[in-house]
Amino acid sequence: MEAIEAENLTRDFGGFRAVDHISFKVSPGEFFGFLGPNGAGKTTTIRMLTGLSMPSEGRAKIMGHDVIHDKFLARECIGVVPDVSNIYDELSAWDNLMFAGKLYGVSRHDRIRRADELLHLFGLGGVKDKKVKGFSKGMKRKVTVAMALIHSPKVLFLDEPTAGLDVQGARTLKDILVRLGEEGTTIFLTTHTLDEANTLCDRVGIIVKGKLAAVEAPERLKRIVRMSRSVEVSLDSMTPRVIDSLASLSGVSSYRKSGDKIRLYTSEPSELSEAILDYARGNGRRIVSITTPGPTLEDTFLAIVNGNSEAVGDDRR
Amino acid sequence: MKFPMLSRVFAELLKALAIAKKDACMYYFQPQSFMMGILFPAAMFFSFSVGRNLPAEVVIPGIMAVTILFSSSSIGPLAVPMERRTKTYERMIVAPISPLSIVFGEICAGIAFGVVIACLPLAIGLIFFGVSAQNLPILIASTVLVAFEFSAMGVMFSAVPTENPANAMMLVNLVRLPLIFVSGIFVTAAEMGVFGWITWLSPLTYGADLFRSAVSGRLYGLIPDVLGVVLFTVIFLALSVYLHERNRTAG
Repeated sequence: MEAIEAENLTRDFGGFRAVDHISFKVSPGEFFGFLGPNGAGKTTTIRMLTGLSMPSEGRAKIMGHDVIHDKFLARECIGVVPDVSNIYDELSAWDNLMFAGKLYGVSRHDRIRRADELLHLFGLGGVKDKKVKGFSKGMKRKVTVAMALIHSPKVLFLDEPTAGLDVQGARTLKDILVRLGEEGTTIFLTTHTLDEANTLCDRVGIIVKGKLAAVEAPERLKRIVRMSRSVEVSLDSMTPRVIDSLASLSGVSSYRKSGDKIRLYTSEPSELSEAILDYARGNGRRIVSITTPGPTLEDTFLAIVNGNSEAVGDDRR
Repeated sequence: MKFPMLSRVFAELLKALAIAKKDACMYYFQPQSFMMGILFPAAMFFSFSVGRNLPAEVVIPGIMAVTILFSSSSIGPLAVPMERRTKTYERMIVAPISPLSIVFGEICAGIAFGVVIACLPLAIGLIFFGVSAQNLPILIASTVLVAFEFSAMGVMFSAVPTENPANAMMLVNLVRLPLIFVSGIFVTAAEMGVFGWITWLSPLTYGADLFRSAVSGRLYGLIPDVLGVVLFTVIFLALSVYLHERNRTAG
């Protein structure tokens, strides 16, 4: 039995198809990342899987229970962390957890034990009786995740859980998710951050424009990431001759021009940066900006679809 | 388990009560809600009774009915759209709980609030105007029943698919305000002339009649009034469940 099973899941909004016949399976205990740019259909997919939205076509099962026909059994198995912290500001952290526990029919004894355990795990034990309206964004996010875990769900859905968190908050949350994964909870995580998908997930599904483009192990994704490193540079003059010269520098595998900048793809960004500096000095050019950005999701997506990590960028050599 | 159905009903009831308690803490038992629940009916009372020499036995039941109408039906249309905006409403609909239990939980909080607020005009009547409740059990039962009716009405209007409480409030006021004038409370059916029949279409008419019966002790119209209140309650409840369930999966 799969933890999550989606079969031809489709969702139309009027004439717009937000999710287009996607099918995938997630095994029990797996950490599955659902990756895609904004508006790709990640949230719509998670809403269909959690019963918040009715599929136009197709079906989905959670731990073998159909999300439409056996919705009660399916919902008992899941915890949901949406993209916003949906907690009750006028209630304390403790009361929020108690309410969530009651909604899932957790017994009073288990509710109290579990809430105590979770609040301490998330470092909120000292503020459990304070109203959450005074909490920071990170603390509210932690309460949201704790509420989703109060009934010890077999499957946890998280929609952009680290969005809006500072580095420390995001790190803490990721550590907790890793721990949950190790304890056997199936985790379905939507994100648009490659790094998050790379470091956390066993497998990653990539959705673009409502279609599932690929389901890959992160190792493959990492290889693409490694080979898709780049240096983005803008000089005071970006004539075709300058662009040709930059594109001819040693180590450049491909390039893409974007406005007044040029993005040069390479496996050695630091060496290429040195070469660009030498070129600018030697030709009397002033560097307006130079950065070493990570690959964009679109780059990775294109690379995965084409099955060739070299084939990144629009203007290829 | 010996009685799985009974156990399921009990579990659902506990979940509904959790929703009611949450609503009571979050929205109902707040100073601003009390002020709104008391001030508006009080203003209506003074507007229509001062200078008209209406007997207290007529005015107090009427004002109780109006108070319950406004208090029980006020918070649902505010709270649910607000919870849609903050996405806390989604927390309830992804949980293993039936739409009926969610609606019932929302209604229960309105009942409690309506009953508490209705005690005020009754206390004023008893203390300052010498009104005596001739049939206290009927009065208590009527208060709970009418609060149920109008709380269900408020929750029905909260099903309007909006995240802006003002949109739902506008609709509920569009219905509530005219009800005051067509329910035989301040303007009797006889005074309405050929339009007197309209009073029988108003859900408020039956509640006000019930209170009058309980205060006066004259119970000859009790059964039709109870049936009237029950009928409207069932209609509001059924529409609430249907509309909330329909809108639930629309997103």
